[in-house]
Amino acid sequence: MSSATWRNFFTYNKYAQITARAVRQSLKESERVVAEKRGTTALKYQQWENGVGGPQVLLNPEEVKKVGKSAAV
Amino acid sequence: MLARRSLARIATQPSPLGVAPKNARNMATLREIELRLKSVKNIEKITKSMKMIASTKLAKAQRAMQSGKQYGLANSEIFQHAPSETPAKRKLFIVVSSDKGLCGGIHSSVSKATRRAIADTEKPVESDSPIMVIGDKSKMQLSRVLGKNLAMSFNQIGRDIPTFADAAGVADLIVKSDVKYDGISIVYNKFISAVSYESDIVDVAGENALKESAGFRAYEMEDDVTKDLAEFSLANAIYAALVEAHACEQSARRNAMDNASKNAKDMIDRLTMQYNRGRQAAITNELVDIITGASAL
Repeated sequence: MSSATWRNFFTYNKYAQITARAVRQSLKESERVVAEKRGTTALKYQQWENGVGGPQVLLNPEEVKKVGKSAAV
Repeated sequence: MLARRSLARIATQPSPLGVAPKNARNMATLREIELRLKSVKNIEKITKSMKMIASTKLAKAQRAMQSGKQYGLANSEIFQHAPSETPAKRKLFIVVSSDKGLCGGIHSSVSKATRRAIADTEKPVESDSPIMVIGDKSKMQLSRVLGKNLAMSFNQIGRDIPTFADAAGVADLIVKSDVKYDGISIVYNKFISAVSYESDIVDVAGENALKESAGFRAYEMEDDVTKDLAEFSLANAIYAALVEAHACEQSARRNAMDNASKNAKDMIDRLTMQYNRGRQAAITNELVDIITGASAL
């Protein structure tokens, strides 16, 4: 516990979210679907300098895109 | 004397040339009234459906708020037992609103509370206290007035019930950003009842304030764990504020749409009366024309 090095890389909130995601993905299918809804976030943020806003950035950019069906199977 | 009376009589009688054909003017205004009537009826349908949607969302939002408030209460218990010795001078204001409009005075209530808190003379805060806004509407309002203080803004929250993931993401970004502050004040709308809300400010202590408070020092906590606690309690407080503000927004939208539907209905009644009267007047005029024409034959 005292030799944990994760604190060098991210905050406690990020740590909690990662562990929560792991727990959610390990649930039974029916419970997992319900729990995934509780863990979704589409948050966007932008930095401001001197009254001017910067570009809006997605917090969690889409990681996995669903593989679409190609015409030539 | 006789001349004066006859002059007065001539003045009161309408001039024989000046009156435009009543039929023509009434037909034009009848068309206009009909168009207005149609558009107001459409608007009434829209506002009525928005009210229905808002009331179903309100039920769900209130349930989420009841459970979400427990996070905030547990949070504030820590700070009650570990009050900070020195009052925070440099406060970070987190303003909680949302992206969508048509919900009454929700966004302006929160923006006004922030402006009042910054201009407060009783508990003065630095005039360049950083502000972070959640929600586009308040962001627009505050960027016009306190644009220099804005540090970061967030959006895409409030479409559905806010999740703890949203709150944790916001807290994460705040902690990672290099904004300096002694304490944090969250400005949000408190849910009083289904028809009323009011703006409120909740204080969250920063990591240093926790470390220095006497109640906290009674326990020997590692610095790492104290930092974790400060970050987690920030996420908790943000979550509680987000959920309550969401419930307030739904109730305000329901009330606003309810009022709009009532006003639209009144307008429809008034316009219908006007339309019918105009229609009947046009018919009567046509009858008079026909009859006088017939009697002239």
